[in-house]
Amino acid sequence: MQAIRVENLSKTFRVRKKEKGMAGSFKAVLHPQTEEIRAVDGVSFAVEEGEMLAFIGPNGAGKSTTIKMLTGILYPDGGRIEVLGVDPTKKRRQLAYLIGTVFGQKEQLWTHLTPYDNFRFSGAVYDLSERETEERIEELSERFELGGFINTPVRNLSLGQRIRCEIVASLIHKPKVLFLDEPTIGLDPVVKENIRLLIMQMNREEHTTIFLTSHDVGDIEKLCRRIIIVNAGQIVLDDSVEHLKRRYPDKRAEKMQTFESPAGHVEPSAIPLEEIIMEIYKSEGRDVSP
Amino acid sequence: MRKYAVVYRSVLMENIQYAANIAMGFFNYFVFIFIFIKLWEYMYRTPGELIAGYTKEQMIWYVMMTEMILFGSNAGSVAGEAAGDIRSGNIAYLINKPYHYTLYLLTKYTGEWSIRLPMYAALAAVIGRVMVGPVPGFRLTAVWAMALCVILGLTINAVFKLCISLISFWIEDATPFQWLYDKLILVVGVIFPVEIFPKTLQPLFKLTPIYTVCYGPAKLIVDFSREKCLEILAAQLLYLAAGGGLMFLIYRKGAKKLYVNGG
Amino acid sequence: MSTAVKNQLRVCLLSVQYNIMREMVNKVTFLTSVGFMVLNNAAILAQWFILLRLREDVGGYTMREIMLLWGLTAASFGLAHILFARAFSLPELIIGGKLDAYLVQPKNVLVSVITSSTSVSAIGDFLYGILLMGLCGLGLREWLLALLFTVTGTVIFTAFALLLGSVSFWFLRMDMLEGQVVMGMVSFATYPDGIFEGVSRYLLYFVVPVGMAVYDPVHVLVSFDAAMLLRVLGYAVLLTAVSAAAFYRGLRRYASGSLMGARV
Repeated sequence: MQAIRVENLSKTFRVRKKEKGMAGSFKAVLHPQTEEIRAVDGVSFAVEEGEMLAFIGPNGAGKSTTIKMLTGILYPDGGRIEVLGVDPTKKRRQLAYLIGTVFGQKEQLWTHLTPYDNFRFSGAVYDLSERETEERIEELSERFELGGFINTPVRNLSLGQRIRCEIVASLIHKPKVLFLDEPTIGLDPVVKENIRLLIMQMNREEHTTIFLTSHDVGDIEKLCRRIIIVNAGQIVLDDSVEHLKRRYPDKRAEKMQTFESPAGHVEPSAIPLEEIIMEIYKSEGRDVSP
Repeated sequence: MRKYAVVYRSVLMENIQYAANIAMGFFNYFVFIFIFIKLWEYMYRTPGELIAGYTKEQMIWYVMMTEMILFGSNAGSVAGEAAGDIRSGNIAYLINKPYHYTLYLLTKYTGEWSIRLPMYAALAAVIGRVMVGPVPGFRLTAVWAMALCVILGLTINAVFKLCISLISFWIEDATPFQWLYDKLILVVGVIFPVEIFPKTLQPLFKLTPIYTVCYGPAKLIVDFSREKCLEILAAQLLYLAAGGGLMFLIYRKGAKKLYVNGG
Repeated sequence: MSTAVKNQLRVCLLSVQYNIMREMVNKVTFLTSVGFMVLNNAAILAQWFILLRLREDVGGYTMREIMLLWGLTAASFGLAHILFARAFSLPELIIGGKLDAYLVQPKNVLVSVITSSTSVSAIGDFLYGILLMGLCGLGLREWLLALLFTVTGTVIFTAFALLLGSVSFWFLRMDMLEGQVVMGMVSFATYPDGIFEGVSRYLLYFVVPVGMAVYDPVHVLVSFDAAMLLRVLGYAVLLTAVSAAAFYRGLRRYASGSLMGARV
């Protein structure tokens, strides 16, 4: 069954323009100029239940806008969305019970309270009884190893501890789909690895669908089988990570080994995924497959 | 000096952008003045009556001028910025910049009122002409002396409000003290001229900053005389020197404390 | 339905409790804020002593009515800022893209948003208001009415702020509108309605809802009038409905901070 289905999704923002200098300032007051930016422009894709998908793209490509439309934060201008069979624009609250969200750059916890108090609040938000909440907190705090700091106010926690708490808070109601918007931003490599393992474990044990955006190629390589790349509001690539490497052979290697390689057979690329992605970003939406 | 000029210029440019936003404040200015027009219309029963030596027109113009100074300068934002910088710890980065933090803030403040004050002055002139009538005995020739007094007055106000903000080096939140200062200025200097209070209190009020911030400049506009003008200017310079000295002193002590505590 | 309401209430109570806990972290700051706000409000009474020295009434109000007026305004304004402080800073949330967290919760967005913070100084306003009304020598029935009007005043202030704040969904540059108009409303609410007549009186009842929030309640407290009481109640309900509708309509245009990067 499909967890997420998106058809022809689009969203346009209108922004003001101003020319430089004093004259520009005056002009902007007298004749405000606006410009339309198509943040998401006819995007369609589907995600299977239990899948782990990387949804990536350069800054300003429309990743966050898409994730926010999927979770019911933004209202789309056009197109259709179904997450677990629910349309976020019509049944936002019903959807909220089914999904979890972690925004790496946005604080969702009360910083003056302990993680424990925060989880209790989350429990109340998702209508869990006191007992259900307690049980779930115990289960998750064991899995995410929060024991040492579950009673320390959040503002005194390290970023790594905090993000673990953010993830736990978003899992309290056993969501079927988890949206992670740059969950590892600003973390050190050890903590990053730890977070990835936890996400993977959760996907395995609770069959949670993972929708991930990240600028960290490590996140993508370690977690996701499939990758969608957006640029300028449009999908420029939707493929498995494995296949992407295959169909994007090392050009340097190609030049050297043209004569030796048997025609028609391409070995998985030796260049790191990071470089492939960078190449696709730079090509600004043109199809780069050979 | 040039760096302050650059700061001034960029704040000026930024504020032109926000001219429409500044004009939103007109609403509240108008509300205040409107209430006071209605209030004094009720209080003065017969035309030509004097209350505390003021005619109805003078009384309303007095409030219009004091409110113009407060709305047109908005010293609250500069004080708020200082308090915010100190509380957030941002001050540690600003303290080492190649300018004096308080002078930098005052320059920004000047850039702000350079746009705001003329806007409010124009508004006050329009409201006054339409709803109250001209200021009795207003002398156009003395307008420069009045402007000077107004500018000195709003600068002194900012200096005192900055002093209060700088207390944030020692206590977590200085806002409650800002309220009390504002209330003092409002009740004793803005809504009534000092003459309306009981005779015994008046000399006391003349010693407070109120005399130089609001009462002085507004009194001059409503009822100009050369002697009064010189007297107020002298008091203002005295207050500016004292307030400025106090501000530098508090800042130096606060900054030192910051170094000791390591920010 | 009733379990949904119960669950929502549970979250709201927890939210208010957590908000107050946050503010109580520093007890000295908390107490100075509350205490100074009481003093700050009390200072204004000096203005009325001066004015009532010049004439025995101002707009038909003697000191007792002035105290009722101030008491109701301070208590309503205070309670609104204790419980629903965020309704008064809505533009900041809308423009800054800070509504996200409330939109992913399976709870009423509007209720979650407006109860998500509190103002400590408002506790001072509220206490001052109650204290002032206490000094007016109210009987039991009058006290019940005064408390009822504190609630309707709270609702009217909050709903009106919400309505103005929601304008920011459509016009980003109107972010000052809410603060400005609410401040203006409070200015009107602290002067006797007797000094206003004609068009301005009309405006105070139908454009800025000061008449329904405080003037009529003061009149009912001075001499009971059932029709006026019902009008106030009806108005509070109506304004709430209109504001909530405006908020939800605007929410569709919410940009979640996606504009921030592109804004000049």
